[in-house]
Amino acid sequence: MARILITFAASAFIMMGSIEYSHADDFFKNADIAYGEYLAGECVTCHRSGSSEGSIPNIAGVNAKIIASALHAFQTKERENKVMQLVAERLDNEQIASLAVYFASLTSD
Amino acid sequence: MSNFSRRKFTTGLAVGSAILAAPSLAFGARPRVVVVGGGAGGATASRYIAKDSKGAVDVTLVEASKRYYTCFYSNLYLGGFRNYASIGHNYYGLAVNNGVNVVHEWATSVDNGAKTLNLGSGGSITYDKLVLSPGISLKYDSLPNYSPEVQSRMPHAWTSGTQVQLLRNQVMNMKKGGTFVMVPPPNPYRCPPGPYERVSMIAHLFKQTNPTAKIIILDPKAKFSKMGLFTAGWDKHYPGMIEWIDPDTHGGIKSINAEKMEFETDLDTFKADAACVVPGQRAGTIAQSAGVTDGDWAPIIPATMASKADPNIYVLGDASVASSMPKSGFSANSQAKVAANAIRGELTGSRVFKPRFANTCWSLVATNDGIKVGANYKAGPEKIDVVDKFISQGGESADVRKATYQESIGWYEGITTDMFS
Ligand SMILES: Cc1cc2nc3c(=O)[nH]c(=O)nc-3n(C[C@H](O)[C@H](O)[C@H](O)COP(=O)(O)OP(=O)(O)OC[C@H]3O[C@@H](n4cnc5c(N)ncnc54)[C@H](O)[C@@H]3O)c2cc1C
Ligand code: HEC
Repeated sequence: MARILITFAASAFIMMGSIEYSHADDFFKNADIAYGEYLAGECVTCHRSGSSEGSIPNIAGVNAKIIASALHAFQTKERENKVMQLVAERLDNEQIASLAVYFASLTSD
Repeated sequence: MSNFSRRKFTTGLAVGSAILAAPSLAFGARPRVVVVGGGAGGATASRYIAKDSKGAVDVTLVEASKRYYTCFYSNLYLGGFRNYASIGHNYYGLAVNNGVNVVHEWATSVDNGAKTLNLGSGGSITYDKLVLSPGISLKYDSLPNYSPEVQSRMPHAWTSGTQVQLLRNQVMNMKKGGTFVMVPPPNPYRCPPGPYERVSMIAHLFKQTNPTAKIIILDPKAKFSKMGLFTAGWDKHYPGMIEWIDPDTHGGIKSINAEKMEFETDLDTFKADAACVVPGQRAGTIAQSAGVTDGDWAPIIPATMASKADPNIYVLGDASVASSMPKSGFSANSQAKVAANAIRGELTGSRVFKPRFANTCWSLVATNDGIKVGANYKAGPEKIDVVDKFISQGGESADVRKATYQESIGWYEGITTDMFS
């Protein structure tokens, strides 16, 4: 279930992003899952877990590296979308890691 | 009622025996949060406090209605993009999945000293923390001769429910080639782009069913939210149908004659075949009786959403002075999470994180032509300060506008799940 969103396009961003995720363990070592859960409050106003209507993708249960690289891609404006650029813009790496690990820990229903 | 008096009793007991007994879920030692209003702010706050405290906090939600019809997307219902049932929500999820004690009653007054909320039935509930998210009440006297009687001929449809159905009915049945008059509210009010999205949706209906109809907007404001985007959209989709008249030109509404459906201004007397009249607004009445308002609205401490007048009361959503945030469902939902985190921290010692707020308001101008404005915010010392913001650009491609509309559909599903699941 969790893997369905790892699309070809998404995996491309892993390589394009400014962070080298092959050393991802370092990137995620400061992840604080309780902090991630708090920060996720902002995301779930739009991102509903499970099947998505409209154009907002489900991110619950998605691999943490995929989430982090997508957020970096919005941050650097490699990926277009005004709301996501605004969301990503004010996240630091600790917040991105915490969010990514938190969402990855969920199951998509 | 017996439920309330028992709870009241056990709360009293718990205070007295706190040193003797370890906190026990079964015997009511749990701190109690009472939330008034199960809308965008209150439903979210109830759910987050109950869910995140995992039973450590007793949450009671007092909401008058058994079903909540969202104001958001009520314009899309008017335009025929949604059916009415799809914007209605119930409270089962809050009760069954989150253990919220849902009480369908009208809250009448607050005894701040005794920390007690009084209910229309005559019962009462004590609280450790009270959250007020009652939305707006209408200032009928902000317009000459507007009143609860007149609202059946000239609906405001600004608190959702049957008013919106009535308005749709009147728009659908308006005579061919007739004139629709829209009177938007003065600032500040709930949903700044709302009146103009409403005009767009009514124009969309007329274009299909009554193409020679006209819409006149008698605005008390000299400019409005997303003005350039709306007016460009109206020119493009509904050329010649909509006339917006600013207050310098019409000089203010001097009287309203509901019998004759006339609006008298300095410029002219406008005769309507159907109309929507939205008066000025203020915080829901319970905020006034709780003594937390200063003028029309309730000032808050930005970092926690606690009232400036009473540290045990929190005010969310439209009723609060949360500037720079607009009065929107998105804002209320965002503020609720900040308050929930702060309240749990105070009552149970759970971690309190730095507050952060966000808002995006989408509006639909015509089929697949969505526009949006958004910002994120932080708690400043005096007010909620903008960190950064964006707005849709003029001349965006049809694909971008369609994606923007699609996004709003996802958001509607997201926020209503976040409020009620
Ligand atoms: C036409 C229109 C379109 C809109 N579109 C959007 C949009 O696209 N996006 C967006 O974000 N926002 C939109 N809004 C704004 C949004 O609806 C409000 O800002 C939001 O609902 C505010 O939430 P709230 O919790 O403050 O109040 P509400 O959601 O109004 O909830 C208040 C609740 O409290 C209950 N209540 C009040 N007093 C008492 C009492 N004494 N006892 C018991 N119960 C009580 C009421 O029954 C109600 O259910 C729109 C509004 C309108 C009118
Ligand atoms: C205002 C609505 C909104 C909010 C709030 C929001 N998102 Fe998004 N998000 C979107 C939309 C819309 C997209 C799709 C963007 C696109 O690809 O064009 C998206 C895409 C994403 C993606 C890419 C998913 C994929 O499959 O490619 C990730 C990851 C993501 N968001 C994470 C987050 C996180 C984490 C938060 C909270 C910090 C958040 N979002 C808050 C609307 C939102």
